[in-house]
Amino acid sequence: MPSNPGPGAAGSGAAVIETKALTKVYPGNVTALDGLTVSVGPGITGLIGANGAGKSTLIKILLGLIPPSQGQATVLGHDTQTSGETIRMLLGYMPEHDCLPPDVTATEFVTHLGRMSGLPPTVAKERAAESLRHVGLHEERYRLIGTYSTGMKQRVKLAQALVGDPRLLLLDEPTNGLDPAGRTAMLELIARIGAEFGISIMVASHLLGEIERICDHLVAIDAGRLLRADTITSFTMASQVLAVEVEEGLAQLQQELAARGLTATAQQRVLLVPLAGDATYDVVRDAVADLALPLCRLEQRRHQVEELFRDEAEVSRA
Amino acid sequence: MPETGPRTQAAPAARGAQGAQAAGVIHDLGYRRYDGPRFGRAQIVRALIWHSFRSSWGIGRGIKAKIIPILAMVAMCLPAFVNAFAVARGNARLFGYDVYTPQLRVFVVIIFLAAQAPELVSRDLRSHVLPLYFSRPLRRGDYPLAKYIALTLALLVLIEVPLLILYLGTIVSAKNGHGVWLETKALIPGLGMGLLWAVLMAAIGLVLASLTGRRAYATGIVAIANVLTFTVSLLLIGAEGGPDTTATGARIAGLFSPFTILDGVRIWLGGKSQGFDPPTLGHIGPVYGVVFIIVLAACLGGLAARYRKVSRS
Repeated sequence: MPSNPGPGAAGSGAAVIETKALTKVYPGNVTALDGLTVSVGPGITGLIGANGAGKSTLIKILLGLIPPSQGQATVLGHDTQTSGETIRMLLGYMPEHDCLPPDVTATEFVTHLGRMSGLPPTVAKERAAESLRHVGLHEERYRLIGTYSTGMKQRVKLAQALVGDPRLLLLDEPTNGLDPAGRTAMLELIARIGAEFGISIMVASHLLGEIERICDHLVAIDAGRLLRADTITSFTMASQVLAVEVEEGLAQLQQELAARGLTATAQQRVLLVPLAGDATYDVVRDAVADLALPLCRLEQRRHQVEELFRDEAEVSRA
Repeated sequence: MPETGPRTQAAPAARGAQGAQAAGVIHDLGYRRYDGPRFGRAQIVRALIWHSFRSSWGIGRGIKAKIIPILAMVAMCLPAFVNAFAVARGNARLFGYDVYTPQLRVFVVIIFLAAQAPELVSRDLRSHVLPLYFSRPLRRGDYPLAKYIALTLALLVLIEVPLLILYLGTIVSAKNGHGVWLETKALIPGLGMGLLWAVLMAAIGLVLASLTGRRAYATGIVAIANVLTFTVSLLLIGAEGGPDTTATGARIAGLFSPFTILDGVRIWLGGKSQGFDPPTLGHIGPVYGVVFIIVLAACLGGLAARYRKVSRS
């Protein structure tokens, strides 16, 4: 499978997922995907987009559950419209929403779904135990799922995706509903699965700041269109800003920075300066020192994903 | 449990405790690939049928889930055991194989269906498990098909096992081979009727239960729909002159409920025992056969349509 080196290429090597002018229009003329062309390589790829950007529609097409209105998608070299069954044999899918019955134990549930992935009975049992161990549920696996915390439920959802030994995992908002510690643990787990288990992963999320920690590549979509597909480093470089907070003289500093060639935008009591590299720190430091302003904060910040999207959308329109 | 970090430390200890044959090597084995054989779609469907069949009897579920199936089975078998005693004392067989005990059978089948059809479909709808099935090799028609076959098999067991007990209880007192042969000849149409019951009632039960994910509602819908249609049908038959009349009105009234449809089919196919319907259907006998097929097809079509919609959402 040749990888597409065009603007929609994320990742290297043989493409794991490849779409060509993929369009999905739902009845009632709702366009969920609008000519999406992207190529996703092995490793961990973040699929980033605001709610309603078309992430879930893309996942459903990749699973072969709904046909695209136009265009084509291949997963691991198989066409989604003709080889849905083969693709689903090779895929593990973790849905966004709650999908667990409360009145069975995690072991029974994951074993059953292992069988539904085509594993023979004893293998399904072994792999269910192993998958649950990998996600960090071992002693608890004989408890009814209804007694689990949200974090444990998310782990069961991940375990059921893992049980069939997939070549590719599609994770839809895996940190949904988790507290900060739970999010970190889930992200570490995903990173480990990607790095140590040798399974390619596509993580859909609307939180860029979160999944960029674990992804090698990012694919950003908005309103069903590709905004950008790139490696994580080049992606985040552009989105980094320096937040400068001074107790007084905000406007003064803004002028001073402009004089030194930095376009700072004021946001409430903070100045946001595009971060070009270490030199930016020096310029800001010197400007503050020369004006003798009381500096109370200087921190590296990420654009909110919405901002990134707005910027990118403006660029693509221009 | 602590929400931070995979608990890899706990795992090797448990593994070592389980597997003394692993020569005392205690390691986290890490992720293991699976390169062994994989079942195809047909075998996956078979696994789902078996799983669903078991849960329709409460097997693999808690004690509470077993109460109704077991009580239903006991109630259904009781007359067959009574028959065995009666026959042993020299009486003739008490019930016909083709109808068994008509009122009891209707009652027990409704209870079983109202309790167990939601067990098979409403639970999965309620807890939104279906995306997990549809993201696996199964095609979208496979899930309802497996559920239908499982419930049909469960009903078959519920209906046919008592017939077999009735048969065994009768032949142990048979005086000669000819008596056994006559009983066997009478049993076979009875088993055939049981199959028709199972095939039709499973379809009706599932399509009604799949309307809602709320189990209590699903149970209510299945129970009320069946009790209501059956009562209406019997009332209409009564109003048109009762079971002994040859009035066309009474003959048609039997088409309004699955149980009287089944009984009409039985009579049309030559069943002699006393059921609920007008004993002589005259020329409209085939109508019962046609309505049986239409109702069955409508229910199965409805079930397929229901899951076509669910699998896309």
